[in-house]
Amino acid sequence: MTDYGHDLRFGTFITPSAQGARRAVELAEASDRAGLDLVTFQDHPYQASFLDTSTLLAYVAARTERVHLSANVASLPLRPPAVLARAAASLDVLSGGRFELGIGAGAFWDGIAAMGGRRLTPGQGVDALREGIAIIRDLWDVDAPGRVSHHGRYYDVAGAKRGPRPAHDIGVRVGAYKPRMLALTGEVGDGWLPSLEYLDRGVASLDPSNTRIDDAALAAGRSPRDVRRLLNFMRVELSPVSRGLLSGPPEQWVDDLAALALDHGMSAFLVAGDDPVVAERLGAEIAPAVRELVARERGARESGAGESGASTTAA
Amino acid sequence: MTIEIGIRIEPAADAADLAAVAEARGLDLVVVGARRDVDHAPLDPWTTAAWLAGRTARIAVGVDEPARAPRGAAFGLRDEAPDPRDAERPIASVIGRAHDSLDVLAPSRLLGAGAPSTAGAGGGGRADAASPPPWRTAPAGATLDDLTALAADGVPVVVPADTPADVERIAALAEELRGLAPSRPSRSAAARARRAAGIDYDGVPESLMDAAVEPGDAAYRSVSSTYLRGGAPGLVLRPRTVDEVADALAFARRHPDLALGIRSGGHGISGRSTSRGGLVIDVGRMNTIEVLDRERRLVRIGPGATWKQVAAALHPFGWALGSGDYGGVGVGGLATAGGIGLLSRQHGLTIDHLRAVELVLADGRSVRASADEHPDLFWAVRGAGANFGIATAFEFEVDEVDDVGWAKLALVTPDLEGSLLDFGRIASTAARDTTAFLVTGRPQEGQSVIQLFAIVDDADPEVVVERLTPFTGVGVLAQQEAAVVPYRDVMAQAADVGPDGHRGFGEPVSRSAFLPVLTPEFAADAAALLETGLVHFFELRTMGGAIADVASDAMAFPHRSPAFQVTAMGADAAALTAGWDGLRHHFDGLYLSFETDRSPERLLDAFPEPVLGRLRALKRRYDPENRFRDNFNIDPTVAAASVGSHETRWEAAS
Ligand SMILES: Cc1cc2nc3c(=O)[nH]c(=O)nc-3n(C[C@H](O)[C@H](O)[C@H](O)COP(=O)(O)OP(=O)(O)OC[C@H]3O[C@@H](n4cnc5c(N)ncnc54)[C@H](O)[C@@H]3O)c2cc1C
Repeated sequence: MTDYGHDLRFGTFITPSAQGARRAVELAEASDRAGLDLVTFQDHPYQASFLDTSTLLAYVAARTERVHLSANVASLPLRPPAVLARAAASLDVLSGGRFELGIGAGAFWDGIAAMGGRRLTPGQGVDALREGIAIIRDLWDVDAPGRVSHHGRYYDVAGAKRGPRPAHDIGVRVGAYKPRMLALTGEVGDGWLPSLEYLDRGVASLDPSNTRIDDAALAAGRSPRDVRRLLNFMRVELSPVSRGLLSGPPEQWVDDLAALALDHGMSAFLVAGDDPVVAERLGAEIAPAVRELVARERGARESGAGESGASTTAA
Repeated sequence: MTIEIGIRIEPAADAADLAAVAEARGLDLVVVGARRDVDHAPLDPWTTAAWLAGRTARIAVGVDEPARAPRGAAFGLRDEAPDPRDAERPIASVIGRAHDSLDVLAPSRLLGAGAPSTAGAGGGGRADAASPPPWRTAPAGATLDDLTALAADGVPVVVPADTPADVERIAALAEELRGLAPSRPSRSAAARARRAAGIDYDGVPESLMDAAVEPGDAAYRSVSSTYLRGGAPGLVLRPRTVDEVADALAFARRHPDLALGIRSGGHGISGRSTSRGGLVIDVGRMNTIEVLDRERRLVRIGPGATWKQVAAALHPFGWALGSGDYGGVGVGGLATAGGIGLLSRQHGLTIDHLRAVELVLADGRSVRASADEHPDLFWAVRGAGANFGIATAFEFEVDEVDDVGWAKLALVTPDLEGSLLDFGRIASTAARDTTAFLVTGRPQEGQSVIQLFAIVDDADPEVVVERLTPFTGVGVLAQQEAAVVPYRDVMAQAADVGPDGHRGFGEPVSRSAFLPVLTPEFAADAAALLETGLVHFFELRTMGGAIADVASDAMAFPHRSPAFQVTAMGADAAALTAGWDGLRHHFDGLYLSFETDRSPERLLDAFPEPVLGRLRALKRRYDPENRFRDNFNIDPTVAAASVGSHETRWEAAS
């Protein structure tokens, strides 16, 4: 039941389908035009019918103006950390600071192994991710002296050049569900990026997961506010009648999203479904109304309860 | 000779600006290459290349990595098994995916992507790390003389550029170099590099040049595959007029050894309307539908129309023309082969409605065939049309058809054998206004799901229900959908083919046969075959009725009396054949449209004597050089005597 006070972000979660490549690009362009904040693509390199997400992100970044872009989320076992860091920083430079890094420990290990990646247990995956994020941050830290060396259990870097220097402070958003991943998110992540449908108990999982992240953040000497809470919705629908969360008329979406922000601390909402109409209405109608409602409510809470003011963090 | 000049740039924030100037000034390529002797790691060249491709529209894009040379070394990849701890080394297969992806996003603009023959099912080619980059790099500040020397053999040349002024200078040099022959090449070196061997691309007739699609073209992916088959043709010609069809054929005549596929709607199963490296003449754009004579219900239809379009166009007149069961199928392939559809028991085969056909023959002549013009050809086209020419228009006499009863039923049965037998009895003895097709697959846990698709050619719901009721006893009814709708709506259920074209990949494996009567023995054998799991799609198309009204020698489609047409599709050709051979004694002949086996004895199944002899004689007259051979080829050079019966052929083999 915490509101971390982040400003709200809205975006799309687009299928990087190779057969529908034109459509995927058009959806991203439509999201940009609709004034959305974020365009994201899932990353499953072993999925033969999908495009390479890194390439798609760069291509789409070139064809959009304002929207930020991110993988949702990059598969670390197939995207070695230094490679990922350099691609991310490069795209951030090219796009004028519009790239964010979504990252995950990996899933679908058969697929990963089939592509030539390393098969890890889930527990090992968490540790590898912790190492990976440290390496990524070191490579981005161009002002630190010397080259980067890292001799870890999972990764080895022997005197790598730092750089390139990102154009802005790239957020590292972690796809996490299980306790250890949530703790890692609180320790080293700038964001938490789950999909609602994969949370054990749906919305009811948000609060306990947030608490784990908060505890881990505090234990690491950080503030829970350092971690933005994002949420993917795989199944959404604009329809005249209400059939559940984000399945109903726009007014219901507004209420649903405002409640997720005010009551569960979520501050970025990414919708799947590949529907340009949904993207447009999300940007044009729903996002402004949610922002307004949340601002009003936050204001009331502040003056009422004297809570500390909302702070905003970068996207 | 084409001269292609471009720039080589560093991956840097202003890369897109330089590339944009290069594109605007008519340069041909931009290559991204990184200097290594800098303090910080440079921008990632691949990311930069993908970004450039998104920012520009035409210019070819290359990525130059110093590590390109040794085998397997592109992008710093080495040949030995990768060390998973190496945080700096990308995974080779992911890089391959990246190449394919850029090729999808910016078709044919990635330099060094492989030729189509190396393409996998899902994507374009990939740079072979062993081969040198397909460009040369001139020294910075290269002069006209330098460029002239480097470009002498047609390999593209890039000159390092750091500023827009550099790009301007290089563009000016390029113009000078191209001299007074400013005609820009219509296809870049990158595109030309993908051309297939043995095709005279530069000799494509002028009338067809605009619409011709070759492997390096943006439209290539959309024309490579067909509905069920993956392909990578060397050249697709897309004529719009009869003259252009003749031009296309003249071009094909100059390539006698190449595979030649004729394509209309791209749903061919037996006909190979795509290939690897061959020619395709695609008449899909000849798709007009017009009414010639309202009184006589005479319509003229181009081969490229789909049956969905035909049904929609005829509907306002209260007419319909029976086709197959799927509205996505093209007119050209079906109306030259048969057309066993859901109106057939009432209205006959599609070819039974044909009154005239216009064809371009192998020698380029355009002829009209009907009962009184080239009647022998008219006879042959109705069943063996694929062997005789490219149909450019069909004239059909269509039927008055009111709304029809349309049903889709799903029935579950533990006794497939019994259900097949019941279906056979009910479907064959139904009134002729009723045509039902049965589809099933492998039984799961002792249960089979049977799907029935039926049309009752009657708009009265009571009649429809009465006709359909017996079918509901074929199993336990699990789902039903029945409605009285226009025939148009039945055909409209097929998906439209989008701008990306068909999605087929691999090769379909399908067997086809005519079943004179559905006996208990056949039901048992068919059920046993389905039990093996070798067949994932099994269909019984009910015949009889009006189909059987036509004399068997009236057209080159002699199979008028069978009760059913049977189709089985599987994944493994050899296994399916083995299973199917066990059923052969039940069969008499086959419907070629569903058969992928190319053994010579299948020809006799499709065209039993004396039909084959007659066809062969006509083939010698109309296509002596055997141009049209992509579909149940009747080879004119085979002597009549060697067309033995099955028995002699098998004896000879054993
Ligand atoms: C989903 C599906 C359902 C089907 N259902 C039925 C059905 O119910 N009843 C039925 O009878 N058939 C049916 N068929 C088979 C179909 O009739 C044949 O596959 C037919 O050849 C497809 O025609 P097309 O023009 O779409 O295909 P294409 O791939 O374009 O052509 C197939 C072949 O037909 C020949 N051909 C094509 N155009 C011409 C032309 N203009 N002139 C001369 N020859 C030409 C060529 O040999 C070519 O290789 C079905 C096929 C599919 C894929």
